Amino acid sequence: MTINTQTIRESDTAENPLVRVEGLRKCFGNHEVLKNINLTINRGEVVTIIGASGSGKSTLLRCINLLETPDSGHVWFHGSDLAAEHVDVNSLRQNIGMVFQSFNLFNNMNVLGNCTLAPVLLKKATKAEAEETALKRLDEVGLKDFAGAAVSTLSGGQKQRVAIARALCMEPELMLFDEPTSALDPEIVGEVLEIMHRLAEQGMTMVVVTHEMDFAKNVSDKVVFMDEGIIAEEGHPKDMFTHPQHERTRAFLSRYLEDTGVG
Amino acid sequence: MDDSHTQGRFRRLRQFVQTDHRYVVLATSVIALIGLWFSMQPRSQMSFLAPVYALELLMYYLLVAWLIFAAAALMTKLAMWHNYTERSPFARKPLVTVERFASYVVAIIAAVLFIDRAVMGVASSAATAIGADKIPRGGLEAALYMLYEGRALFRTGILTTVELAVFGTIIAFFLALLMATLHLLKIDRADNDLVRFFKVVGSGFAKLYSTIVRGTPMMVQALIIYNAGFAVLLGTGMSSGQIRLVWSTFIAGLVTVSLNSTAYMMEVLRGGIESVDAGQTEAARSLGLSQWQTLLRVVFPQGIKFAIPGLSNELVINIKDSSVLSVIGVVELMYESRAMAGIYYKNIEVYMVAAVFYLILTALATYLLNRLSKHLDAPRLQQTSDSIHAAVSADKQ
Repeated sequence: MTINTQTIRESDTAENPLVRVEGLRKCFGNHEVLKNINLTINRGEVVTIIGASGSGKSTLLRCINLLETPDSGHVWFHGSDLAAEHVDVNSLRQNIGMVFQSFNLFNNMNVLGNCTLAPVLLKKATKAEAEETALKRLDEVGLKDFAGAAVSTLSGGQKQRVAIARALCMEPELMLFDEPTSALDPEIVGEVLEIMHRLAEQGMTMVVVTHEMDFAKNVSDKVVFMDEGIIAEEGHPKDMFTHPQHERTRAFLSRYLEDTGVG
Repeated sequence: MDDSHTQGRFRRLRQFVQTDHRYVVLATSVIALIGLWFSMQPRSQMSFLAPVYALELLMYYLLVAWLIFAAAALMTKLAMWHNYTERSPFARKPLVTVERFASYVVAIIAAVLFIDRAVMGVASSAATAIGADKIPRGGLEAALYMLYEGRALFRTGILTTVELAVFGTIIAFFLALLMATLHLLKIDRADNDLVRFFKVVGSGFAKLYSTIVRGTPMMVQALIIYNAGFAVLLGTGMSSGQIRLVWSTFIAGLVTVSLNSTAYMMEVLRGGIESVDAGQTEAARSLGLSQWQTLLRVVFPQGIKFAIPGLSNELVINIKDSSVLSVIGVVELMYESRAMAGIYYKNIEVYMVAAVFYLILTALATYLLNRLSKHLDAPRLQQTSDSIHAAVSADKQ
């Protein structure tokens, strides 16, 4: 089953959410990591997922593009259920970009090769077209001069910016960020966050798993707090950071709230 | 990179000989002793020092004189262990220069004696062996005689061995790539039932194949493959003569080496491929690449690089292990050696010759493969922009 994204885009009505997660469950062995997760992500929305380590944030994110297979539940994207058997995951994934904590740039290619591999293979772009787009995207992340560089010569921050450019080259409708700054030195976290901020302003739909509370508070439209496999609380960042409803949320945010003197 | 390394080694050697020269006394004493030992060996017929006995005598006493001189120098070194360079007369400027040139003379004398006794000795044995009309008694002469008389046999044997090993390894590499892929493909959500069925069957087949082939000796495999092939062709109504044309022992041997090596190379490749970081696969899949595209474009190029040492080793193993194919009558090096042993009844000498040939072949293969893997490891892309270097150095600060 191949999905013609063009027709779906037109038939999708604006008020439909881009992604709807329904009753999602995921177990690793006997440990239930996700327990009945429901979440909607609207077009142009920036959703940040926060929570302690092991609360299931990353697993939830990885279920959205099916890097993890859910045990039950649905992930509606473009009118098809990603979690159903036999669904053409490969073509749906082309519309979902993902940025990883450990960058995962292809080591056997240079920077430009990383950005053009998928467009040439999957979007049937010619090499020249793909390279033109890639250079544009690399320029946006400030790394146009590094197009010919080997991946191993880049710093962590540069690698992550290339990874963002690589995902953007597929012109996705949704970008998933899995702790994109956790592997970076504190002084270069800013360069990556700045690009993400700009991307949000351009209207990209984004789901961000992060420990950067400032980003969650200032950039996102919705904050989701996860605790032990459930969504404990979700809401607008202003409400969340000033009046957390649940005890757990308050406990988790307490250190941040104390540090910044908010709430 | 290789060149600069060699240059560095050469420069170090030159420095040691010309300027540094710290161990001149000790090292040249050893060289002088070796020279003396050679001069005491019986001379062969081709010895060029025999007519000029006086010269050899002079060389002999020069070496002895050097040893006495060196002993004296070493005594002062022992006596003045801590301030040898300041106090010993042997460490002063004029004497140091003399010592250096004397050491050159000692090295030259030792070299001349080595050529006269060892090199000319072997050459003389070879001349005797080639000239002989029946096998000589001496071990070295006998080996050289058989080497010379059987040169045509050894040449075909070596060529066949190399062909079996090289072609077998190349065929096995591609088969192993296929089998490793079968082994690694996992059922994907997008697959339909037919693809799923083939993936399950393929992976099971690869595992079974590896177990059977690695669990049985290659000699047994060769006998089964050769005879089974023969039996099948007999069943089609061909005569034995016709079959020998199609299903020659060489073809059967090549099939055996290829199929055997496939199982081992598959495991080596699997190890290399599995050591590629899982994040590489995840990144490729997240962009929408299929499992197959991911393997082909991202995982294999990296995994094969990890596997290169193991794959190279397979060629060396095949050079050696093709020797068991002599049981089905493949005319390779071992087969020819056994034939020679049967003719001359000189087992030790023949098998020593065979061992030397195998050693030369494997050493050559190892050398060439090392060159190749170094070449493959070199960065594929030359960086063009200076900003890269600038950025990298800025990053380090």
